[in-house]
Amino acid sequence: MPTDDTTTPPRRLALQTLALAAWAAGNSRTWAQTRTSAAPASDAEWADQWRAMSRLGYGPNAILAQVLQATSPRTWALQQLDAAQCASQQAPALDADVQDINAPLPQIFEGAQRERQARASIKAQGDTTKDTADNTRQRLDFSAPADPLYFNRTMIEKTAVWRLSACSLPEQENPLLARMTEFWFNHLNVYIGKGPVRPFVGHYLIHVARAHALGKFEDLLLASARHPAMLHYLDQAQSVANGTRGAQGSTRGLNENYARELMELHTLGVDGGYTQTDVRELARVLTGWTVGPNAADGFRFALRAHDTGSKKVMGHVYPDGFFNRGEQEGEDAIRMLARHPNTARRLSLRLAQFFVADLPAPALVKRLSQVFMDSGGDIRRWMQALLESGDFWDASNRLFKTPMDFACSALTATQAAPERKSLLLTLGFLNGAGQPLHGWQTPDGYKTDAATWMAPEALTRRADYALQLGRQSVNLDFLLPYASAATRQAVAQEKPALRNGLLLASPDFMYK
Amino acid sequence: MPAPLQAPQIRRQFLTTLVAAGSAWAAPSLWAQGSPRSEGRLVLVFLRGAYDGLSALVPHGDRNYTALRPTIALPTPDGTAQTTLRLDDSFGLHPALAPLLPLWQLGVLAAIPAAGSPDATRSHFDAQHHWEIGMPGHGGAASGWMNTLAGLHTPTDGALGVGEANPQILSGPAPVQLVPRGQAATRQGVLGDARTRDAVMKLYAGKDSLSQAFRAGADSRMQTAQTLSADMADPSMASKEMLAANNGAGAVQGLQLDAQHLGTLMRQDRKLRLGFLSAGGWDTHANQGAATGALANNLGSLAAALVQLRRDFSQPNDVVVVCSEFGRTSAENGTRGTDHGHGNALWLMGNRVQGGRWHGNWTGLAAGNLHEGRDLPVHHDFRAVFAQVLRSTQGLGHGDLDRLFPGFAWDSALDGLMRA
Repeated sequence: MPTDDTTTPPRRLALQTLALAAWAAGNSRTWAQTRTSAAPASDAEWADQWRAMSRLGYGPNAILAQVLQATSPRTWALQQLDAAQCASQQAPALDADVQDINAPLPQIFEGAQRERQARASIKAQGDTTKDTADNTRQRLDFSAPADPLYFNRTMIEKTAVWRLSACSLPEQENPLLARMTEFWFNHLNVYIGKGPVRPFVGHYLIHVARAHALGKFEDLLLASARHPAMLHYLDQAQSVANGTRGAQGSTRGLNENYARELMELHTLGVDGGYTQTDVRELARVLTGWTVGPNAADGFRFALRAHDTGSKKVMGHVYPDGFFNRGEQEGEDAIRMLARHPNTARRLSLRLAQFFVADLPAPALVKRLSQVFMDSGGDIRRWMQALLESGDFWDASNRLFKTPMDFACSALTATQAAPERKSLLLTLGFLNGAGQPLHGWQTPDGYKTDAATWMAPEALTRRADYALQLGRQSVNLDFLLPYASAATRQAVAQEKPALRNGLLLASPDFMYK
Repeated sequence: MPAPLQAPQIRRQFLTTLVAAGSAWAAPSLWAQGSPRSEGRLVLVFLRGAYDGLSALVPHGDRNYTALRPTIALPTPDGTAQTTLRLDDSFGLHPALAPLLPLWQLGVLAAIPAAGSPDATRSHFDAQHHWEIGMPGHGGAASGWMNTLAGLHTPTDGALGVGEANPQILSGPAPVQLVPRGQAATRQGVLGDARTRDAVMKLYAGKDSLSQAFRAGADSRMQTAQTLSADMADPSMASKEMLAANNGAGAVQGLQLDAQHLGTLMRQDRKLRLGFLSAGGWDTHANQGAATGALANNLGSLAAALVQLRRDFSQPNDVVVVCSEFGRTSAENGTRGTDHGHGNALWLMGNRVQGGRWHGNWTGLAAGNLHEGRDLPVHHDFRAVFAQVLRSTQGLGHGDLDRLFPGFAWDSALDGLMRA
């Protein structure tokens, strides 16, 4: 588990910049020239490198491109498993001005509470001079001391800054770890626009999706179930045994939102063999699971709100009552769902769709399911099986980039993430593309297939973004060897100021 | 593949003229053949997440209503503010929908209180998929039915989606125009600069599908941005830009601006006859509120969007339909919200809609009449509703309708839904 100790290594960043500059200086070939002298022998090898970097990360920057030329993509891919797993156990590199997102949970709860109080007091006083919409501050500018009134807004922005940096600075965050974090965050999606969820998304990314990215699925699922972001997002925090007395003597009860999505989306799948009765019963099992603003892990089991009657979920009986095993029975139910063969199938299909093809071969999905079951949901071994499959490296398994892929790979190539202007541009692009960062409203997560994202007008918006980002970019010559002859030729004809942007806007750059 | 027209073109036009002239005697023969009205337009507003129809079309006449919803029932109509707006003895409108009351009174707005998909799934995503491909219970890949509808005629009718990247309902072989949510739709971006545009287009000069899509997108985008910015420059339209600060993608607050863009684009390009809009934020499991609150705010935005659409879609055969994938539990849950249900209220707006009244069966909220003892039943299949609309306003016959909705059954209980 990552600790909350998040000192940034500024020295490391400075060294990277130097290394990058030195490399770029020694690489001033002309645009008409094509491949480097140390080039791999064949197009297939360039393609394998591209695939490895673009799918097990967000594509090359100049340094990563060099690394891949010195090793075989298959070897590199397997090395990344170890490197990513190792990195997942360390705290992420967080710049000083965004460290709040990884603060201890009680502090985050307190910040949210202070904002609520500040807003309530402004409302009570009828103070119209105070700008509650925060229109005065420049977005992503954290230089001024934090105003309690804008706590949530600031946390949303800091989360975005860290996330885009992690997904585009391979020297700062292991690329495969960034990818796996995306995969799991999307699988166990939370929406940053929902009021109480807002300040917790960064913490959820770090301590749920990232920390367990290559661990055991059931631990990941349990961590998600107990995290304030998920507890708030799917209303589990409020779900209590029917008839529980609430404030001012009101009666509260069950909310089946989380129980349903836990089975439908997080584990079994919609045809996974559960009924409406199972949804209700699982919701009863989970009653009392709620947020704990003072607890280090943000979780609290409220025994008073737990349904102590006997419950039965998919044939498993939870007798409860006598032994007061309330919290444990929820954990048992979640682990039972995580270990179910239908969960293995559903997750394996999603994994193959994310890393291999929109319509992966059924044999691959079957093999992955088997590995998942045999290993007790060991994600590292499951990923290894994927990387060792012929399917992953098969050139006919193409994947079209999602807007998120596209933006992060362009940011990676240009190394523009430290620039707040580039990040604002990126957030705007993702909004317009229909894939706002941490902004997918529904628990299914966004789709990753070409059928969803290859829409005519949307393609032209990629070109907008690419040309704007390319304008201030370092030289992107290192991308040339991965491009088709037609693209290289078309780009070479243009004036230098346009070339970076055109490479990023090219058809070749749309695939991973 | 387009289906052959069912009647010779000249006959279609002749009948259209007669109907426009209000010739009542023509109705029976139209009925038999479908009434061809080639200019009819359909706009579908999909409320993703299952909106709580029992808070929008309030069954105030049913005493179970307040019993089932002790903290979230809308107050019984008494003529004062923040109470249900009485429509008749059975139903009323949520006060946040007050802007729709004049449309109801004018007779151009109608509701079907218990409609939906006959499939019993309570999964948002399965249910939306069923609605969008027009095949309840069908899990596999298929074209969206609005795409199939666009392809029924030769030349293909234009279809336009505003908001989502690529909604399932519009996906399929017929080309459709998709423009983004909010202000982004009004900008040409780098394509606005001729030199840059040329350079970019050279990258996409190929015959591959990506290049073709890119070129089509560039044309469409130039056109879209030009049309919308010309519209904004018109001072009479400027006041509608109050929603310019549209931050949240998918938020219901942006719906009015999307509706305005849809209306403008379909007004400027008459080949566009099918429109699709959507808004999320309706999955109100907790603290949904009653006369005020989260759901009330969403309903207010929806009402504003519908009033906006009424301005642009008031031709004789324009119809706007508002629906969700399913309804919500008739009882309030333990957290002052509602969980996933089954049947739901569906709305229709247009001059040919028999408005000012509700249609179809309503069996109330007594426990014995609820689906699985908890939800409104689906008395009317959504496919049968669209079949009524499309037959009446676009002249589709049974063969065409069956291609959109394979195996659907005509529902004669809805025969009074559309004006002859």
